[in-house]
Formats: sequence, C-alpha cells, structure tokens
Amino acid sequence: MIELKEVSKTYTQGIKNIPVLHNISISIKLGEFVSIMGPSGSGKSTLLNLIGGIDQPTSGEIFINSKPLHGIKDDELTLIRRKHVGYIFQFFNLLPILSAMENVGLPLLLEGIPLSKIKSKVETLLQKVGLEGRMEHRPEQLSGGEMQRVAIARSLITDPEVLLADEPTGNLDSRSSEEIFNMLKKLNAEGQTIIMVTHDSKAADCGTRLITIKDGFLASDKKLKEVRA
Amino acid sequence: MSILNFFRYISLRHIRFQKTQSIVVLLSICLGIATIVSITIVNRSVLYSYEDTFNKMLGRSSLQISGPETGFPENLVDKVLKVPGVEYAAPVIETQGILIGAKEHSIMILGVDVLQDNQIRDYSISGESADIPDPLLFLAKPGSILIPRSLAESEKIEIDQDVQIQTVYGIQKFRVRGLLNPEGPAKAVGGNIAVMDIFAAQMAFGKEARIDRIDIGLYRGTDIEEVQHHLEKTIPQGYKITTPAGRTKQVQKILSSMQSNIDLIGYISIIVGMYLIYNAVSITVVRRKKEIGILRALGATRSQIIKTFLGEHIIIATVASALGVALGILFAKAAVGAVGEIISSMYMRTSVSEIKIYWADIFSGFAAGILATLIASLIPAFSTANITPILAIRSVPYSEEKMLTARTVRMVSILLVFLSIVLLIFYKATKFFPVFHNKSIIFLSVTAILVGISLSTTDFLRWVLTFFQRFILPLFSGSPRLAGLNLQKNISRNAVAVAAVFYSIAIFVSSAGFMYSIKESILSYTDSVVRGDILVTSGHPLSVGSQNIPMPVELGKEIEKIPGVLSADPFRKTYIDYSGKRVVLLTVDVARRLEYSPFMFAQGTHDEMVKLLPHNDAAVVSEGFASHFNVVPGDTITLSTPQGPVPFHVVAIIVDYMSDVGSVLVDIDTYQRHWGDMLAETFSVRVKPGESINTVQEAIMKKFGANRKLFVLSGREFKEESRKLIDQTFIMHYAVNIISMIIACFGIIVALLASVLERTREIGILRSIGMLRSQVSRVVMLESVILGISGGVLGSLTGVLLGWISLDGFYRVDYGASIAYYIPYMYVIWAIIISAGLATLAGLYPAHRAAKTNIVEALNYE
Repeated sequence: MIELKEVSKTYTQGIKNIPVLHNISISIKLGEFVSIMGPSGSGKSTLLNLIGGIDQPTSGEIFINSKPLHGIKDDELTLIRRKHVGYIFQFFNLLPILSAMENVGLPLLLEGIPLSKIKSKVETLLQKVGLEGRMEHRPEQLSGGEMQRVAIARSLITDPEVLLADEPTGNLDSRSSEEIFNMLKKLNAEGQTIIMVTHDSKAADCGTRLITIKDGFLASDKKLKEVRA
Repeated sequence: MSILNFFRYISLRHIRFQKTQSIVVLLSICLGIATIVSITIVNRSVLYSYEDTFNKMLGRSSLQISGPETGFPENLVDKVLKVPGVEYAAPVIETQGILIGAKEHSIMILGVDVLQDNQIRDYSISGESADIPDPLLFLAKPGSILIPRSLAESEKIEIDQDVQIQTVYGIQKFRVRGLLNPEGPAKAVGGNIAVMDIFAAQMAFGKEARIDRIDIGLYRGTDIEEVQHHLEKTIPQGYKITTPAGRTKQVQKILSSMQSNIDLIGYISIIVGMYLIYNAVSITVVRRKKEIGILRALGATRSQIIKTFLGEHIIIATVASALGVALGILFAKAAVGAVGEIISSMYMRTSVSEIKIYWADIFSGFAAGILATLIASLIPAFSTANITPILAIRSVPYSEEKMLTARTVRMVSILLVFLSIVLLIFYKATKFFPVFHNKSIIFLSVTAILVGISLSTTDFLRWVLTFFQRFILPLFSGSPRLAGLNLQKNISRNAVAVAAVFYSIAIFVSSAGFMYSIKESILSYTDSVVRGDILVTSGHPLSVGSQNIPMPVELGKEIEKIPGVLSADPFRKTYIDYSGKRVVLLTVDVARRLEYSPFMFAQGTHDEMVKLLPHNDAAVVSEGFASHFNVVPGDTITLSTPQGPVPFHVVAIIVDYMSDVGSVLVDIDTYQRHWGDMLAETFSVRVKPGESINTVQEAIMKKFGANRKLFVLSGREFKEESRKLIDQTFIMHYAVNIISMIIACFGIIVALLASVLERTREIGILRSIGMLRSQVSRVVMLESVILGISGGVLGSLTGVLLGWISLDGFYRVDYGASIAYYIPYMYVIWAIIISAGLATLAGLYPAHRAAKTNIVEALNYE
C-alpha cells in the first residue's frame, strides 16, 4: 500500500517560493496500475519523485507499505529507493560506461552483490524485455526503444514493490512506445504495482486508475473504467 | 563489498574511458613524486657516500681528534697515548692529490703510520704478494704507495710502475708497491685513493711534523665518554674530539643548507600537482553530475559516491606514485653524479656514482603521492554529497556545487596575505622579537603569501577577462569573443588552472630573483676584490678542496722573478672550527693586497684594516659571521690554532660571500705565526704597466707548468669561471622549476579538455551554423593563452616579492645584509613568454579535440 497524506511541495528559487503541489492525499493498493496525467508544469513528475523518494515533501507524509518516506535520513531513504522502488525515466538514464547487462544489475551491484551471482537473473530480465541478444551492448549501441527496455529490466531487478515510470515513452517512436505499453501491461498483469506519469491519454489507458493533477492540486482520482464510461 | 563493485563497474570504467584525463592526472602526480623522491635519494646517496667514506677511513677507531685544516703538531699523539683507556693513537694525513695519467684524476691521499695502522684499518692485497701479512710494510721503502685494484685497472697501472702525483711541491713520482683489495679504505671515495707512509705524505704535502687527525682505539670495556672527558683535559682547546656519528651529523649540517632550497621547490611542485588533482576531480564531479544523480536515484548512498570519487583518484595516485618512485630513481641516477661533483667542488670531496635507496624513502614518496591526492580530492569529492537525485534527473543546468563560497575564499585569501605580512614584520623587528628571526618564519610567510594569492586567482582572472573584453576584444571580430565568455562561464574552475601556472611561475621568478641577486652580488664583490691581472692556482681556481692543491708560499717569490711581474700575493683559504661551526679562514698579505684591491666594508674602514691587521692578532669578519655570532668591531673572538686558542681583536666587518656560516680574515704573517702553515692556494699576480698579460701568463706556465699542474688565468677568465660555477650551483633549482612548470601545463590541459567536453553541444551548434574547424581551434587556443598569461603575470609579480623575501630570509641571514636585491626583469619577461608558450602547447590537444567534434553527435550530446 502506498499512501500520501496532505503532501505539499514548494521549491525555492532565490528569495521566491514556488508551490508545486498542494495537500495531495492518495492511497494506492498493491497490484494497481495508476496513470497520472496533467498539463506540463502541473506537478505530476514532482508527485512521482516524492513517491519514489527521489525528492522530499515540504509537508505531509508518504508511506510505502507503512514505511515512512518523509522525515527520514538520506541513507535510509536511499535504501528504500534501492530495494523497494523501481524507476523508469523518460530519458532512460542508463550509464553509458556500462553494458546493458551491467546497467540492469546496477542496483544489486550497489548492494555489493557480484555480477556473477545475479547474472542469471539479469539474463532472465533481459530475455523478458526481448534483449537477450544485446546483453553486452553499451547504451550508445542501442536504439531508444531498446534503451528503455534495458531501463525497465533494471527497474525490476530488485523485485520492487512499486514501479514508477516518468513519461516512459516520451522519447520514443510509436512502435517502440507500443512495445513498452504492452510490457508494462504484462508486468501489471503479473501483479506488479505501477505508477506512470504521462501526458498521453493513449498511454494512460494502459492503467487501471487515472489520477489527474492540475496546478498542483488533485483534480480527479477515478477508476479508468469510470473515466472511459 | 559494494564499494568494490563501485570501483569495478564505475571507477575503473571511467579511468579506462577517460584516458586522456586519467593520463594527465597520472603524469602530474608521477612527476611531482619523481621530483621529491629523486631529491631525497640524491640527498641520501650523497650523505651515504660521506658516511661510507668516513666509516672506511675511520676503521675500528672509537674516537677521532681533529684540529685546523692546516694540520697540527704530531707530538700530540704522545699526549693522547698517555690518556687512560687509550690503546692506540694512529696519526693520519688525509689530503688531496692529483694522479696524472692519461687523464687527471683527483685522489685522496691517506698517510698512515705503517707500523700500527693495521690496528685500525683493514688492508689486504691479492696476487703475487698475497702471503705478506701486512701490506703496509710495502710502504717502508721511500716513495711507495698502495692503490686500490679498481683504480689500477681503470688507469692501467701495474705493480712496481711509477705514477705521477701532483703534490704541494709539484709533480712527484711514486712507485705502486701493491694493489689493495676492495675493502676498508680502498673502497672509500669510490676507490680513488692512494695510501702512503705518513712521513712521505707530510713531506709531499707541506705538512712537515704535522698531522690532520688522530684515530684512537680504546681498550675493551673502556667508557668512551670518560676517555673523551680525559682527552678534553689533556689536549689544547680548539681541537675537536668526535665519534663517527658526530662526523656524520656535521656533514648532514653542511648539506642541509644547500638542499633546503631544492626541497622547497620540490614540495611546491607537489602543491602545483595538488591543484591539478583538485581541478581534475572538480571537473569530474561536474561532468558526472548526471551519473551521480542516476546512481543516487537507484539507491547509491552519499558515502558510496564520495568513496568512489576518492577511490578512483587513489587508484590513479597509486599507479602514479609507483611510477613516480621509479621515475624518481631514474632522475636520481642521472643527477647524483652531477650533484656529487657540485658538492665536492663546493664543500668537500666525495665520490657518488651510485644511488642509495632506502625503503623508507620509497614508502614516504609513495605515501606522499597518495596523501597529496587524497587531500586534493577531499573538497570536490565531498561536494558530490550535495548532488541530489532530483537535481540530476531534472537536468538542471550545471552549476558547480561549492563547499566554499567566493566570499569565504576571498576572506581566507586576504587573511593569509595579512598573516604573511605580520610574520614578515615580526621577522624584521629583530630587536623586539629575536625569536622570530629564523628561516621557519620566512618559510611560513612565503607559504602564506603563495596560498593567499593563489586563492585570489578567481578575482584576478575576472579582472583579466574584463580587461580582455574592454581593450583586446575590440581589436578582433567574431570567434575570440567566445573565448572570454567561455572562461567567464566556469571561472572558478579555470582559476584553479591559473593558480597552477601561478605557483610555477611565482617559484620560477622568485628563484631567478634570488639567484640573479646572489650572482650579481658575488660578481660585483669579485670585481671589487679580485683586482690582480693574473691568478695562479694549482687546481680549479674556484674549487674549495678536492681539486685545489696548495702551493708553497715561497712560490710567490719565484713568480715575482718572472719579467713583467710586479707582484705575486699569496691567498690562503682554510676552514676552522668556531663555536661548533665550520667557518672560513682567509689569509692575505693585507698591506700589499689593499694597495690595489680594496675590500667592501660593512663596518670599519680601509685605513683601520691596514693599520691594525698586519703582524697583529687582529681580524676582520664577514657580515655573515658577525650576524651568526653576534660580533661587532671592537669585540674579541677566540680562534683555534694548532697551538691552542688565540684571542683576536675584531677591527672591521667586510662583505664576503665565501661561506654561508661566515669568514674571518687575518694577515698572512699572523696566520703563519699561529698556524705554522706556509702554503697558499692562489697567487694574485700584478703585471707591470705596459707589459702584456698574455706574455706574463705564458711565461708563468713555461717556468712552472712542467713541474706542476697550474691554472694561470687572467682576471677576466677568472670572473668568467666564477659565473659558470654560480650557474652550476643553481642547476638543480632550474631542473625542479621546469618540472613544476610541466605540471602546471597539465593543469591547463585538464581545465581546457573539460571545457571542450562540456561545450560539445555548443560547439556542435556553432559548427552547424558555419563555424570553421580552425575558428573552433583558435577559440580554445586563445582561452589557453589567456589562462597561461593570467597565471604568468600574477606569478611573476608575486615571484618578484617572494624573491626579495627569500633573499632576505634565506641568504642575507647567512651571507650578510649587503646582498642587494636585483629585480630580475629579463626573467619576468621570460616567465610571461614561457607561460604563454606553455599555455599554447597545452591548448594544442584540447583545441584539436574541439576542432574535430562531430556535428551530428554533438547535437545529440546530452
């Protein structure tokens, strides 16, 4: 269960305070596929970053399976990110110096586990995303779609409780986007909790629930079926 | 465990993929360490060579008695033998000769008592006469010597062959009676030694009835200190009773004054290297900010990131330090011979052909590299802790995370410069703060001013760029404008490159300033003191001992008989012990010499000197002596003579640069009376008006050249030799300076490479809209030159100031206040030209890289 209680976020730029999110309260059950939509600058990515522990709220509380993400030390938050959250970025954020296999294994390498011990798991994940022939390739040798698939495999390596995706197809062509959507749907069908930020309504259709953010406020929170009905 | 994964998958990859940067950082650490290690090894080797020579020469003796360099009466041996506990007392002559063969070869002459010396030193011979129990017995025949087998082989000398040796009384023949095996004294001074009977040595080297040393052996179980105490009571004051360890300490003292300056420059090159490492790590942090963000987002902790950055550079530092140590050994091997020669000609004879390596030196050099890297990496590595995942992921434009704000840096800079000034005031106010009048305060002041000004390089670069934009840019159009803007964009990082150049140039100009001042002062002193038309010596005219064999003072009278010679005045220079320090004792015929060759007076007058010195127990002292021993005219100083201590009335203080400890000058008549030494090193010959100097030179050579090896130089030639010797003395300084400049050059390369890489996209855009490769290249080159000249100008200005402080603190204290400071204008101009030139060279590679940027790839560069 992921729970946000009265979460607000304000950025400071010089002497100016810029409020981005206002009193957001959401509760997401395990196994859900939540799409977060909203116009540019509405605060949807900020919301995702707060859920993933990449950023800290100015006020309010965030829990993942009852573990608080607010008001804790940086190292504790880091370990939660490492072990309980998988992240898929719009620009993939793969390390150019590592091969596909090493990029996927990176969160476990951070744990101190040698690559030899996680090799089979990495190979399985890369097979799962259809990159069994590309394991030794470095990001520069992969297409955009392939890079994102490597990023998906990396996000799954720690068997996270929640998978966060920030515009995962925002930088891909339609064919690659389709492949990624199918992959995410399949993962959700296998029980993976997914929260995805998108501005694309077609992408949002992959989910089971749609949250809309507008000017930093929670505008709506409905089952997708209700929205499409 | 996880940190190992980090090293393996992140750090090592970066080292591999960023070869150029890694190599540049590696080379700079390597060069810095090589400099320090080579200096240490050379120092150690020279010291070891002295120690080794002493140990071999002193054999099993427990104590030595030494007196004035001129020797002391041999009857002192009998007194020593009567001291309880003394088993034997072996008299020794230890002097220099020149073996005249195909090549002239300076050798040590060891004159020993053939009947008892085997109790102290080991001699053995092999071959035909190996069954002779004591090889010294061969020396009983007059004119006999023993030489080491190695010397015989190198000079192709055989047993029973006559060899020629330059002695005080000219070239004499000696017969080689045996070849010594390489043990004991035969191994001293690299085997360049000849052993002869003490009587023969006394006769040949002008020490009749005198000896140089008594080596004492004690009965087993005797307390050395007790014997030492008895000896002090038995022998006259002014003699030195030392243990072998005591002599080593003396050498250490002598060498330390020469080497402290070279050490200083060596450490500065490490500081320059540290700046470079700091810059390289800072640049790495900025460049890898996105990567750090990703790693943090994926769960890497702050400490993991910090450790990774530190670890990466420690890996490089480990390799670099290992290479630096190896390179340092090579440098030392190349330099040790030259340094040994310089020390031999300046201080005392040694033969250092091999280097002596101690594990402790290797380890400390290695550790210095790691430690310097660790210190230099700390601030930038810790700045990674400020990088949050969100900053990287949101692709916020890069801004360098600073732990120190510009204001803090400026404050520290001002404080350090202020501290330096306060220290200087304390140092100068001798009357009020005598405790602060020492070299450590000057060292601190110099360091504070260097670090203080280096911290102001950001502001200085900003001014330079403003000047560039206002006054230089209008002369250009187009692309040069970009250079100023680019430098402005990352000003604090570029300022670190400027600081590296600043350090090198500041030290270069400062060294040049004090070396130039010393050289000019010595040359003007030489001009004033050396007024003879011709100088006659039997060794190199400027060498102290190893090459210069004195001549009988009577030779002067013989020279005066040559047609055209007006006068030939003797000059003798020896060393005496004064208050535990080795001071120079100068001797001239004061009345005659002062007729044509005035001394430079700091206190006192020419008339007083002429009136009071001849035939009297009066002396003049150098400024250095006066300052070291707090002596003023009117005081009485007690000098050790072979007859015991004699009080001398101080008449005046003169300018003299012969010794860093100080010198004392007495009239030759007084000298001969007290020291019983009838020798002279040099004759200053005046030629009658209208006579040709060349003709007289040739006539002197013709008359005496066959019988002795003579240097007959005109005054002009002598001054030229002086100039060469001074340049030779400072050669190590220049070598170390060049190394620190090369490291500074690497600093510019690192800064520019980072700048080019960061601007990949920008360069791509500029190229796509029509900027030529040559224009891109020119912008980068111009940036490099601006950085180089900024560092060069600031370094030169600071160097001029440092030169003055160094001269005052490191030299005036030793040599006297009369050394004038000459601003080295030509060196300043050269320093700026060199910094611009080196910067141009440093800019070549980054410019080439920038120019060949692929437009399509650059436009997609994230």
